[in-house]
Amino acid sequence: MSRLADALPRRVDVPLLFSAVALSAAGLAMVVSTTSGTARGGLGGRQALFLLAGVVAASFFALFDYRLLLRASPALFLVSLLPLVWLPVFGPTIAGAKSWIRLFGGFQVQPSELARIATVLLLAWILENDDRPYLSTRTVAALVGVVALPIGLILLQPDLGVALTYVPFLLAALYLGGLRPRVWAGLVLAGSLAAGASWFVLKDYQKDRIRTFLDPDLAARGAGYQVRQARIAIGSGGIAGKGWKEGTQSRLGFLPVRHSDFIFAALAEERGFVGVAAVIGLYGLYLARGFGVARDARDRGGSMLVLLVVLNVAAQAAANVAMNVGVLPTTGITLPFVSYGGSSIIATWAMTGLVLSVAQRRFVNV
Amino acid sequence: MPSSAREDRRPLLRRIDRLAVASFSVLTLLLGIYWVHQVLRGDDYARQAENNRQRSVPINASRGFILDRNGKLLAENEPSFTLLLYRRETRDVEASLRFVAELLGRPLEELRRRVERTRGGYDFVPVASAIDLSIAEVGAVEAHALEHPELVVQTTERRVYTQGTVLAHLLGYLGEASPEQLASRAGRVRSGESIGQRGIEAAYQDLLSGTSGLRTFVIDSFGREVAELDRIDPLPGNTLVLNVDLDLQRIADDYFRDKVGSAVALDPRTGEILALVSAPAFDPNVFSRRVTRAEWQAIIGNEDRPMQNRAIQNVFSPGSVWKAFVAYAALTNGISASETTFCPGFATFYGRRFRCHGAHGTVDLPRALQVSCDVWFYNAGRRLGVDALAEAARTFGFGRPTGVDLASEKAGNVPSTAWSQSVRKHPWYPGETISVAIGQGPLLVSALQTARAFSALANEDGALPVPHLFRIGEHVRSGARVAYRPPVTERVPFPPGVRETIVEGLWRVVNQPGGTAFRYRAEGLDACGKTGTVQVVAQKQAKMTHQLPEKLRDHAWFAAFAPREDARIVVVVFVENGMHGSSAAAPLAMRLIEAHLRPGSVPIPEPPAAPLPEATPPGGTTTAERGATPPATRTGA
Repeated sequence: MSRLADALPRRVDVPLLFSAVALSAAGLAMVVSTTSGTARGGLGGRQALFLLAGVVAASFFALFDYRLLLRASPALFLVSLLPLVWLPVFGPTIAGAKSWIRLFGGFQVQPSELARIATVLLLAWILENDDRPYLSTRTVAALVGVVALPIGLILLQPDLGVALTYVPFLLAALYLGGLRPRVWAGLVLAGSLAAGASWFVLKDYQKDRIRTFLDPDLAARGAGYQVRQARIAIGSGGIAGKGWKEGTQSRLGFLPVRHSDFIFAALAEERGFVGVAAVIGLYGLYLARGFGVARDARDRGGSMLVLLVVLNVAAQAAANVAMNVGVLPTTGITLPFVSYGGSSIIATWAMTGLVLSVAQRRFVNV
Repeated sequence: MPSSAREDRRPLLRRIDRLAVASFSVLTLLLGIYWVHQVLRGDDYARQAENNRQRSVPINASRGFILDRNGKLLAENEPSFTLLLYRRETRDVEASLRFVAELLGRPLEELRRRVERTRGGYDFVPVASAIDLSIAEVGAVEAHALEHPELVVQTTERRVYTQGTVLAHLLGYLGEASPEQLASRAGRVRSGESIGQRGIEAAYQDLLSGTSGLRTFVIDSFGREVAELDRIDPLPGNTLVLNVDLDLQRIADDYFRDKVGSAVALDPRTGEILALVSAPAFDPNVFSRRVTRAEWQAIIGNEDRPMQNRAIQNVFSPGSVWKAFVAYAALTNGISASETTFCPGFATFYGRRFRCHGAHGTVDLPRALQVSCDVWFYNAGRRLGVDALAEAARTFGFGRPTGVDLASEKAGNVPSTAWSQSVRKHPWYPGETISVAIGQGPLLVSALQTARAFSALANEDGALPVPHLFRIGEHVRSGARVAYRPPVTERVPFPPGVRETIVEGLWRVVNQPGGTAFRYRAEGLDACGKTGTVQVVAQKQAKMTHQLPEKLRDHAWFAAFAPREDARIVVVVFVENGMHGSSAAAPLAMRLIEAHLRPGSVPIPEPPAAPLPEATPPGGTTTAERGATPPATRTGA
């Protein structure tokens, strides 16, 4: 016991680590269940490899002093934007979007996911430097700019799902930094106008998704078909679920993109409400520990970093869970830790490493 | 850190608290939504998931075979190939259809229509895009299986009528159930199913159809079968044995190859129908596969109406055949058989001159039948009145359906004073009775009614059996049999000597010189019969009948039974525009009698065309018009 404790870095936040590991394990199990025996072959091995890479990245960030990273964040941010600038122009078109860079061995990397790490660091750094009760206009402008830049570049690919995952960053940063109520009102107004204007920019299939969301039964066979099938998968899981690899909706292909966007529906079908409650509970634990670490962080930058990370993960998770059951429109937001996908797994784990880094260096009365 | 020492952390901590409350509320809310779907409404969704993955498709039962009375095969089934298109397997249905149209040489429009018709269904339900492929076409489709996984060949059964047109009206054919048929046979017939249309196929649909089975299997979202869950095997339909004698049927069919009309042969003792022919006929096989536009046009465009069963659906005046029943009316109403009338070749009633076809001199009843003297019957009719004639007619079953096991039978018409008042709204003119006495006027009978009525003359006990085609239904698996159950047989009451007198007259028609059918007698058959000729145009204009257009020529009847004692066959032949009962109708009647009483004595003609239609070869032309050959040349007599 003592030897194991010595081997681990001091003051590892075990509940936080546990929630991340448990979610990853549940995800791996579901990726195996939803992809084995299909024409593409099982993706479990690859997902395990991604998790391993994610844990390595997390360890790296956990051991590194986050303050160094905060200070280097402007430079890191600019570097991380380079592939995003390059992609829309020169990137290969894969699945209708220029979102990926091909690597060796058939692996692809999605720079939009990795830029998330630099973005969160830079936002925390900006907030660190404005510690008055309410943010200055300059800081607000800086925050908006830092988030808008990657969002704009990602929309050019286009990848609405990933672009949307950057929005919680901005909202969280503004809220945590502090805004006067009238500034909030102005922002909400501007946001609504932008959303209204965006209707004219959205692609037809994206509009379809929103219409479908508004009336799923109307489009029972088009895009609404997916939502309906996902809901049947979820509901038919009942309390205890149909059992691992026993989900008929998922195994027989009625559930769309079941190893990625709709993996939670597959989990709900095979593991039932018990599994759903466990997974949502794990996100709750992750979030709760994040709040705890943020409270105890030794500096404002650390607090902000942790809060931005856990709120982003939780917001993504909540959006995905809501989307699976048809409460939000289908937007391609994946379930962090759980959905198949290397870049998302590695980015999420790396950011979790940042949280662990802050946790290790907190003030505690030992 | 120096900065953090100065920082007031309270606003941040307060915001964290609020965020915690908000975010845990969201998570709890989501958990609640999942609770609703998974726990509260889980059963409902579970059912939907089952419906999603399970498909049940009926397995068609094999339709029962139909045999003639000697076990000869009349209708059977053969494997048939249907091309299915799985919509979900193709991105471009139109392109798939174009491929099929080109490969098989089918009109693209027709394929599109078939696909359109099934639009309402799920896209992964197979769509029959072209039915009825030849073996060569199956090969052609299978060869492209890799490029076109959406095309699948399904094996089904197709009805085959081995005799082609020969038994068309008798057997009927199969066709897709109409909305009305679906409604009247709710639960027994599925939409899109082929059921019997007309004839035996329709009359014994329930016996023939069997009970379809059900296969339940698991499918994936593409509709591809993954595993079978359950299977209920179908029960094949009963084999039906008919009373028809294929040999007699072929002889009659062959005779009518170039004529329009009908022929019926019965066993007078039981009412078993030995042959029933209506000409022109159609090929029922045409309806078992795709009916091409040309074929359908050929059938419905034919003014001789090949779809009509003339033996039961067309009614005509019986002409002199009727005299046999006027004789009955006379003998049962106080006119003696030995009463004579002088025939100078005409008679005058009510100031009008009625012609006879010859000057027969002094005739009694048997002779009047033998030579078909109109004058004797004019006088008898005048004395009896139309109502006595009508009563006799009804006793012999005229004026109402015979009850044969075929649908759409006509009742005909037996005129009387009451009928005139209620239907025509004017009184009966006594002059009309004179016409009715020789089987003209508003009197209308079918060939089958006439055959049934002659059975009563043929039978010593005057039995008037119900004509029927059905003999035995045998269950293929269990061997259980359903036999024909005759209803209570009606009888025509014959006072002593009455039947014998009439039969004597009918015997002389065939067997004594001067008899109207004497020319067609066959030695030793001992047949009794009566000829009949029905005027289509008024007698005055009809002098030069051979010069009349064909459609205006007289119709020919001949009704007969044999042998004289213990008759075993009744035959009625009716040839439209055939001119003389003796020359146009008698030869066939005598041939049928001879074939039945002396098996093997009459050569059996082969059926006309190749009975098994081959489906269209790829790119070839369709075999149109078979079975609907319009009567190109018809000889008068």
